[in-house]
Amino acid sequence: MLDRLKMAAVQELGIPKDVALGEVLVSFAGRCCVTVENYRGILLYDDQTVKLQARNCRLEIRGRRLHIAWYNHDQMMITGQIQAMEFIDA
Amino acid sequence: MRQSVLHRLGGYVHVKLGGYEPERFFNLCRARGLEIWEISEREQEYYFYMALRDFRQVRPPARKAHVRLRVTGKYGLPFFIRNNRRRTPYLAGIVLFFLVLLMMSRYIWDIRFSGNLRFTDDALLHYLQGRGVVYGMKVREVDCDSLEEAIRGDFPEITWVSARVSGTRLLIKIKENETAGEAMGEGDSDKNEAPRDLVTEKDGIITHLIVRSGRALVRSGDEVKAGDVLVTGVLPLYDDSEALMATHYVRADADIYARTEETCSLVVPLLTAERTDTGDVRHGLRLRVAGLQFLWMLPSDGENCWEAECESRQVTVLGDFYLPLWVDRLTLREYRLYERQRRPEELALLKEKILEENRKNFLEKGLSIIQNDATIQKDGLRYRVTCRFLLEGPIGTGREITESEENNLADERSRDDD
Repeated sequence: MLDRLKMAAVQELGIPKDVALGEVLVSFAGRCCVTVENYRGILLYDDQTVKLQARNCRLEIRGRRLHIAWYNHDQMMITGQIQAMEFIDA
Repeated sequence: MRQSVLHRLGGYVHVKLGGYEPERFFNLCRARGLEIWEISEREQEYYFYMALRDFRQVRPPARKAHVRLRVTGKYGLPFFIRNNRRRTPYLAGIVLFFLVLLMMSRYIWDIRFSGNLRFTDDALLHYLQGRGVVYGMKVREVDCDSLEEAIRGDFPEITWVSARVSGTRLLIKIKENETAGEAMGEGDSDKNEAPRDLVTEKDGIITHLIVRSGRALVRSGDEVKAGDVLVTGVLPLYDDSEALMATHYVRADADIYARTEETCSLVVPLLTAERTDTGDVRHGLRLRVAGLQFLWMLPSDGENCWEAECESRQVTVLGDFYLPLWVDRLTLREYRLYERQRRPEELALLKEKILEENRKNFLEKGLSIIQNDATIQKDGLRYRVTCRFLLEGPIGTGREITESEENNLADERSRDDD
């Protein structure tokens, strides 16, 4: 109920959802580089899969030779040959 | 870039990680603010870089996540100093480098001029050399104020000078008075009031003349020869009985226009040298330092001609610090020369070129071209290009009145009396 109210308020006020609700923000630069913002933690990492925990969902990035170029408290850059990305319900 | 420099200054390590929960380890590091980058995974083992400062705090998260860390590489300044602490000559070399740099920075290694149009850089350099301002002198011995004053004093055409030392360079900015020369020239001619005649310096036919001072001896349509007096500055004064009472001498001044003919000829050989590039190119490097030069270039195997091109660059440190070291990049291109007869179209071009050059010269001198033509004649093993111009323009130059001229006038008068 509270979430719905929050969502409606954000929609009406035109505030970005990543700022107000902490939604995950994913930016691709071609298929070799992706930046993920507002993630909560790393669930799984190997050279073919990176699985991240976001606030409301999980994010799975699949590909080949995946590297974590850098990461900090709320941002992460993944490089490599990205093949797919999937949102999984938490 | 900034991050990379900071990493190198602070030092960083390359780490291999193995164990049960690597993801947990990364999350723990993230929560503690420990910096990790370039993470990759190969055969269940993880490799990454970590700042040295953070690596010292990594033990608790590693224990908590049950992982093992092994350092596989150490990089950056702290490790460099540690590895080279026993290499005294190495350290001495670095210290010596900075000492030499410091020593060299106390001398002038480059002198630049800007704004000079009338005086060439070489002429100004020669002048400075005479005043003891040369390449290699000490920076503190350069007195910019007195140098500025001296240049202004010795070159009246230079109205403004600014000299300053920047690094190892002496920069001299100059502003010249563009009208100084003309004004002086005019002043001189005004001051000179000596009596004179106007004489012609070439043959021609007078078209028209306006006399301001003196007595005209020619009229429009008269044919004159080189050396003839056109306007005389001797003015005799006669009484009623036509006896010479006195003679006045004035400075003759007039605008005299005449039609003259100019001929110019040029002789060119029958054969011309044609150049063909063989396509063979050699590159080399030359190092010039304190009068010595070192050349790195393979010797040539043939006896053909080579055209050399040199790109010279003075070695600088940090933009303004010029060192007495020049690097020349040499490019040599091989070519052959062979002789062949000139083609008719080349001769026609040559004729046009000579005509055009002369035409331009005459127009610059203020002469009008009435007619022009050019001919090419074969003369043995050469061609003679002859250009003929019919011109109209001012003639007459000043000539001071001599005593003989005065006597001639007296004789002429006495003959008339007789």
